[in-house]
Amino acid sequence: MTHILSTPVNRIDGHDKVTGAATYAADFALADMTYGRLVTTAAARGRVTRIDTDAAMRVPGALHVLTHDNMPEIAALESFYAGGPLQSSFVPLTSTEIRYAGQPVALVVAETLEAAREAAARVAVTVEAEPANADIFAENAEAKPAPSPAPTDVGDADDVLSSAAVAIEADYTTPVQHHNPMELFSATAEWSEDDQLTLYTPSQWVKSVGFGVAAQLGIPAENVRVRSPYVGGAFGSKGSLSHHVTLTAIAARHVGRPVKLYVTRQQMYTVASFRPASQHTISLGAERDGTLTAFKHVQRAQTSRFDDVVHSGVATTTRMYRADAIHGHDELIPVDTNSPGFMRAPNEVPPMFAVESAVDELAEELGIDPVELRLKNDTDHDPVTGVPFSSRSLRQCLERGADLFGWHDRDAAIGSMRANDELIGYGVATATYPTMMMPSSARVRLDGEGRARVQVAAHDVGTGAYTAAAIVAAETLGLPVERIEVELGDSVLPAGPISGGSMTTAGMSSAIQKACRDVRDQVLAAAVAKDDGPLAGENVESLDVEDGVVRGSNGRSVSLPELVAAMPGGVAEVETGWHHPKLSQKKVDGFYQGNLAMAGPVTDSHAMFSFGAEFVEVRVNRHTRSIRVPRMVGVFAAGTIVNAKAAASQVEGGMIWGLSSALHEETVIDPATARFVNANVAEYLMPVNADIPEVTTEFVEEHDEIVNPLGIKGIGELGIVGTAAAVANAVRHATGVRLRSLPIRMEHLVTARQARR
Amino acid sequence: MQHFVWDRVDTLAEAAQHAARPGAAVVAGATTVSDLMKLGVLEPSRLVDITRIDGIDRIEETDDDIRFGALVRMADAAEHETLKIDYPALSEALWRAASPQLRNAARLGGNVLQRTRCPYFRDTDANCNKRKPGSGCSAIDGWAGMHAVLGTSEQCIALYPGDWAVALSAFDAEVEIIGPDGPRALPFEDLHRLPGDTPDEETTLGPAEIITAIRVAKTPRGRASTYHKVRDRESYAFAAASAAVAVELADDEVSDVRIALGGVATKPWRAREAEAALKGRRLTEDAAQRAGEAAFADAVTRQDNAWKVPLGIATVSEALMIAKARV
Repeated sequence: MTHILSTPVNRIDGHDKVTGAATYAADFALADMTYGRLVTTAAARGRVTRIDTDAAMRVPGALHVLTHDNMPEIAALESFYAGGPLQSSFVPLTSTEIRYAGQPVALVVAETLEAAREAAARVAVTVEAEPANADIFAENAEAKPAPSPAPTDVGDADDVLSSAAVAIEADYTTPVQHHNPMELFSATAEWSEDDQLTLYTPSQWVKSVGFGVAAQLGIPAENVRVRSPYVGGAFGSKGSLSHHVTLTAIAARHVGRPVKLYVTRQQMYTVASFRPASQHTISLGAERDGTLTAFKHVQRAQTSRFDDVVHSGVATTTRMYRADAIHGHDELIPVDTNSPGFMRAPNEVPPMFAVESAVDELAEELGIDPVELRLKNDTDHDPVTGVPFSSRSLRQCLERGADLFGWHDRDAAIGSMRANDELIGYGVATATYPTMMMPSSARVRLDGEGRARVQVAAHDVGTGAYTAAAIVAAETLGLPVERIEVELGDSVLPAGPISGGSMTTAGMSSAIQKACRDVRDQVLAAAVAKDDGPLAGENVESLDVEDGVVRGSNGRSVSLPELVAAMPGGVAEVETGWHHPKLSQKKVDGFYQGNLAMAGPVTDSHAMFSFGAEFVEVRVNRHTRSIRVPRMVGVFAAGTIVNAKAAASQVEGGMIWGLSSALHEETVIDPATARFVNANVAEYLMPVNADIPEVTTEFVEEHDEIVNPLGIKGIGELGIVGTAAAVANAVRHATGVRLRSLPIRMEHLVTARQARR
Repeated sequence: MQHFVWDRVDTLAEAAQHAARPGAAVVAGATTVSDLMKLGVLEPSRLVDITRIDGIDRIEETDDDIRFGALVRMADAAEHETLKIDYPALSEALWRAASPQLRNAARLGGNVLQRTRCPYFRDTDANCNKRKPGSGCSAIDGWAGMHAVLGTSEQCIALYPGDWAVALSAFDAEVEIIGPDGPRALPFEDLHRLPGDTPDEETTLGPAEIITAIRVAKTPRGRASTYHKVRDRESYAFAAASAAVAVELADDEVSDVRIALGGVATKPWRAREAEAALKGRRLTEDAAQRAGEAAFADAVTRQDNAWKVPLGIATVSEALMIAKARV
């Protein structure tokens, strides 16, 4: 049988994307369109005392200014982290309150984008501001216990630490960071005469947006359709329902015409979520031979004053290595910002930077090779619950990565490797990501021409989901991938998973495979029952189906499409759902009502995680201490890889962003006004092409039928997880300076050198 | 964004006439002006587009000098053969600036007038004595991580962000200007002002004056020159620190040297103390380091930008060694 699964396949939507034929949410041009613009406030805390819209309404073409004065009442819903659909539970314009800088206080609608922009600039907002703080590292910022998860405890970590042969403890910090997707947030809202709302908005979860907006506006969920066929980067920022979407719908209803609203690049930094700043205290105890005896991780992370946003890294980091005693818990530090949210590997990137830096510090303290130390403490059972990992190939990743990178050429002595005016450092860190499975449904239709159509309300956020869906259908039906048409990103389609938590491919593919098999069975059942057909009287179980060709025991063979053509109506269609067996029916039912429902990563029988190892070479200029990274190697294990080409791009992109996170990205907070200072892509640094080195990636083979029938674990986030620590560890190796705060920049190295002089 | 008139002029005389009208701003590539207009920082009622004027869009060489017309594109000057070979600092400062798109649009005359990237200058909700005299300085009270350590005042610590003007400061350059009172010339060093008590007055240009050309005197030091730009990312980033250096050695000793600094000062910064520290000495790594230290002896730092001093010293020192290798 010819397999397409796991081979490199070009994107089926690639041509449309590069030619501009792909319609992103803001590309839909509607008749009678008007344009919206948000007005945001500079104050970070206080209240709006007056909004004067006279000057704005005098701008030619101005149609409406939506403010708290004329905002209709809407239903209060929960934030995403409390089980609701909202980016934050605090909804701007529903009161006079100001809770964060850059908060929307008005939405202007005008005949043209230019008029909307001009009118927005003329909305006069008077505020009564109060002192505010947006910085968790400020002296007056106080931590509180996180409401969940419960602390993790195995044995008495403090006790073991106090008697450990070798113990280290250190604090690590990470800054606020922003997603900065190329595609701006936008929403286009159109109401029909019978109160049907269509929203075009880039989304990682169209179903949830539909349910959420309907609930806020008090209209039936089936009245709201959300379309998001293509997404120009999201990374978590388009995963929950942001308020500009609902406000646009309200404004469109008021003006009685479609409204299209773009969020400006600067507003992108405040109207939705971001990666919260965090601080981590890591304590490790070990025997002299490197055996870990104690592992302790306390995480304190930023949240808003109105939502408890917990990105517990502890739940993952405590499962990384075996140890006799383990403790982990989370705390939150509320400050005056919007609620943070998920940004690519939200629970993993900051915590694993801390843990994998600390492991490196321990290796140095022990005089053991960092790769060896990690191998020594590898485990095939979950150190917290004792259940086995469904699969865990960390050892293979480390060993293969070390070979590919040339790790064994590393001279462990600090500053010992040099070339011309550069200090060379080699660093390693591991990566892990929990395997969670969300249910999905799918509709598959096969016609008599051998064409199949696959429909799921899943999303292609640039990852290649269209192609993954086509591959799974092609593989299961035995058709060429070119014969598969895929529809995603529309809330009227069968419910799919959120494009978050690296869950799309696993959930969606499981449902598509099941639907394709059901279609095939339906066709075969019809064929054997058809008295005058080539397979008349055959037993379905004895039929042999390969590459879309069915062979009967009588030796006759016929193609699946031919059998479909002979069926009444000439098509076979199935809509079905899939969910992981460990997920309760109640959760599954909730999923179909737009709620989050996930199985894993740890069930009563297994722990399910993907793993990886990342190796980085840094070059530090001897004089200026500028840091460059000429090469990176990443080896990952994530079960079945659906599309080898897109998967390589995915983990490569993850590592590149990891490098960016390590060396560049930081949203700077103004201490006096609690505002983000560098809210633009000139001063919020991200790498340019010239910064991106040779990136080598590989997947090790891994089969895991416990996670799902296809053995897919998900790779959306894994690649970014280990990079920052690998960079920090390499910088230490090159320079002798241990930097425990991200980003790592030459300013820190040059200051450290000066301090030593 | 308010409405404005776009004046396209064909002659310098016409340009000068339009530039004198109230609310007028002269633009060529308009890369800075359009950016600041979108932010609401600049609100000119009239843009005078001088890009159609003939005769000031060329690079001309004589035996004594190179004359850069104000309308020469940054990208074209960067690729000029004489610059690449005989004045590498002038070429490097151009191709290491901005992005290819910006270098294709921006012209040399406008480039030396580039405005600061101080985030508070660019944010109309912040206090800024440069944007709104007397309103205060949010940078001094707030985040000063990218701000100047040289040439600052109690009113302003905004950084001059450009590159080419820094390189020009390491040569004997003159600015040719046309204004209501006819043409005049000005030493390049006198073009930019220190912020002092009037940070809103960034240059010595009169309100209706237009730069027509920049003239650089030829010198053998040009060949042994470099514009060393140090930054966090490889391209499309402002200098964290930069040094334009040109050296001349005689009998292994420094007979003449020019050092100008970028990324650390409120204007293109000529480091005469550093030059003096080197003259008559052998150009060793130690001497280069001491020259760097002399350049920053008067630095005024804050917690956020104190790192600019050790970085600046290292930048000067490394630039000197690069230039030395070109002697």
